[in-house]
Amino acid sequence: MPREIALLDALMPTLILAFIAALLLYWLLDKVLVWLGVYQFIWYRALFRLSLFSCLFCALGLLIY
Amino acid sequence: MHHFRIRSLMPRWRYALLGAVRDWMREDAQTLVYIGKVLLACMLALWVSLKFDLEQPRTALLTVAIVMQARTSMVLAKSYYRLIGTLVGIIISVLLIALFAQERILFLLSMALWISFCTAGSIVFRHHQSYAFVLAGYTLCIVGLPATLNPDQTFNIAMTRLSEIMVGLASASLVSALVFPQGVSELLRHSVRNRFRDFSRLLTSLDRRKLAAPATRAETLRMVGNVFELEIFHASSSMESDHSRTYRQRLNLLNSEFMAVTTSLHSFEQLMRRLHRSGHPQVVENLLALFTPVQAAVLTHQREVRDEHEARQVVLTSSTLLDHWETHLQEVKSRLPADLSSSDTLDFATGTALILRILNELHAYTSTYAGLDTSQKAAAVKIWKMPGMGMHFDPLTALLAGLRGALVFAAMSFLWITCDLHSGVEAITFATICSTLFASSPTPRRTVRQFITGVLIGTILLYIVNFHLLTHAQGFAMLALALSPVIIVAAWLTTKPSIAVIGAGIFIVFFLHIGFNNTFAADPVNFINAAIADLLAIMLAGVFYSLIDLSNNQWSRTRIAQALRELIQEICVHPAQPLRSRLETNVRELLLRMGTVHRVADARDKEVVDWLLSTLEIGQAVIALRSEAHSTPVPSIRRSIKHSLHQLAQLFAQPSTAWRNTTIRSITDSIEHLQQQEIRMQLTSANHQQLLAMLHFIRGALLDTDSVLTLSASLDIAEKQGVLNNA
Repeated sequence: MPREIALLDALMPTLILAFIAALLLYWLLDKVLVWLGVYQFIWYRALFRLSLFSCLFCALGLLIY
Repeated sequence: MHHFRIRSLMPRWRYALLGAVRDWMREDAQTLVYIGKVLLACMLALWVSLKFDLEQPRTALLTVAIVMQARTSMVLAKSYYRLIGTLVGIIISVLLIALFAQERILFLLSMALWISFCTAGSIVFRHHQSYAFVLAGYTLCIVGLPATLNPDQTFNIAMTRLSEIMVGLASASLVSALVFPQGVSELLRHSVRNRFRDFSRLLTSLDRRKLAAPATRAETLRMVGNVFELEIFHASSSMESDHSRTYRQRLNLLNSEFMAVTTSLHSFEQLMRRLHRSGHPQVVENLLALFTPVQAAVLTHQREVRDEHEARQVVLTSSTLLDHWETHLQEVKSRLPADLSSSDTLDFATGTALILRILNELHAYTSTYAGLDTSQKAAAVKIWKMPGMGMHFDPLTALLAGLRGALVFAAMSFLWITCDLHSGVEAITFATICSTLFASSPTPRRTVRQFITGVLIGTILLYIVNFHLLTHAQGFAMLALALSPVIIVAAWLTTKPSIAVIGAGIFIVFFLHIGFNNTFAADPVNFINAAIADLLAIMLAGVFYSLIDLSNNQWSRTRIAQALRELIQEICVHPAQPLRSRLETNVRELLLRMGTVHRVADARDKEVVDWLLSTLEIGQAVIALRSEAHSTPVPSIRRSIKHSLHQLAQLFAQPSTAWRNTTIRSITDSIEHLQQQEIRMQLTSANHQQLLAMLHFIRGALLDTDSVLTLSASLDIAEKQGVLNNA
């Protein structure tokens, strides 16, 4: 995949798209996890959330590079 | 023996030590952790911006300093709105540059328009939303002004600023979420409990002695204004996704129920005061006897309820009371002397109706409170009509604030162009920050004074850091070391609510002019120029705050009193059935605008406060009356009540003695009409009782010589006597 894409004639890193996609995915996944009540079993929720997001973003990023 | 004595002594000092440690953990440790978090977030932002070679790392630092707060979710909420504000500001700057890059006058004019729009917006909205408007306003200066100097670079400048701000936001959010996160839920629970305790105290303190003493408004007013304290935490708690939707809805419900019950309590107290002054002593005595079980209901074990669990006890007691209300009422009624006049009987009936209302509302309020800690699965999930807080604002005030923002900007631009001010861009930016940021403050002049102090201290610190520390700094560690002292001092100042603005001033001036971009530049001439420009800007903003003072003068007080009267008129004559929650929120909104919750003692504010409380008092009675009248099958009653309410609206539109008398007479006519035997036969007894009670209550409020109406429409005593004798 190209590393930069033209958005309205402005070159942007494709990673931005990956970031936004990861945000959307994370948001959906987070809703599901809240609904399932998974967070009750997690000690450090903020850290878990950050790690979850990092995993998603890295996975998408690796697909590009 | 000796050995034993030492052992028995040991625990005592250990307890003392433990207590001291606990206190320290609660107070000082929190502050230290917060300062550490600010420092960490700043360093993270600095490191990332340097790593990515961003042009102005200081913008990222400034962002961190602005959004950092003690509570995680408040940081997230503020960051979210800062992002929105910045994005809108950047889009507008790019748009304006595309349109008017060659025409400086048109460009500056349209900027002034936008800034006035944003200032007005920051007045209309509350809390974080208001902040988003402020940001959308001054981002235009931060991005737009430098970009007009070299228009071909606009896009790059905009993108760099956006990236820097994003880095700042991300660092602040990450650090506050990961390092000792402090949820808002604990705070929420704490303030909900405190509020219930304060409310119980107010409820139980109503007795014979208090009725005889002159009215103190401070307590009531504090209760009435308490709603907003919770709202800011509440608004940010939506950022914490751990909270269920049901929980937030319950909090909303709790808020509106709280408002309802405090208003009813206030009305009851007013009624009792009037009766104590001029009513039959036996009526007062028996009403108090009727009220005592309600007061006892909010206590467990002779003290106020501490938490949700104990509140369940109150729910049980109050529902038993409601079940046995009729027998209780009959018992108290039987103690009344037989030879009461019809007016005294009406007094008693009105008091009874109010006590019953308080009991019902107390029951609802406590049930919601007790239901807060049950898990969402267990409680039946109902869809409530969300009362929301709504908005109420004075268009003229918003307009004037907008005008002030535009004038500050225009004056500064004029100076820039005509005097060829060296640091013109900085000066304009600074003036705009001042004129938008403090517009929604209840005491802008004091805030600006504090801010000036902060800017002065900040400039001195800046000089030391810029020319004595940074010149020796090599590498990131040394840079961090040079910056930390100022960050620590400013962050410490922001934790003290009374002088927080000084800290903010230090932060803003420090990070706007700190002498490094990605390359270091220490130029004393530039520095002095910038410092002079800042001072000029803030003085100018201060002057305009004094010239267009919207917060604390006779004009604004008159406006607020007028707005309150208009509210009553609307409630009286609006064709649709008025909502109780609308009255309650609108009145509190005005109270918040007034910003006088903490200085009730001020005699000049007394008039507004009186208007405020009597609006609540009469407003709730009118709403109850209208909803009862709505369900009445007899058209003649509806007609006479409608007529009386029209008169009442007229009275509030233009208070005068003549209108006051006419209104009182009209209400008396309605009461007499209701009391006719053939009318009484057509109504259910509850309906009839309620209508009579509310009409009588409104008449009582109008007849009160201590009422605020007396200021503009004094009542002749003869008239009052006449009405009372007729009744």
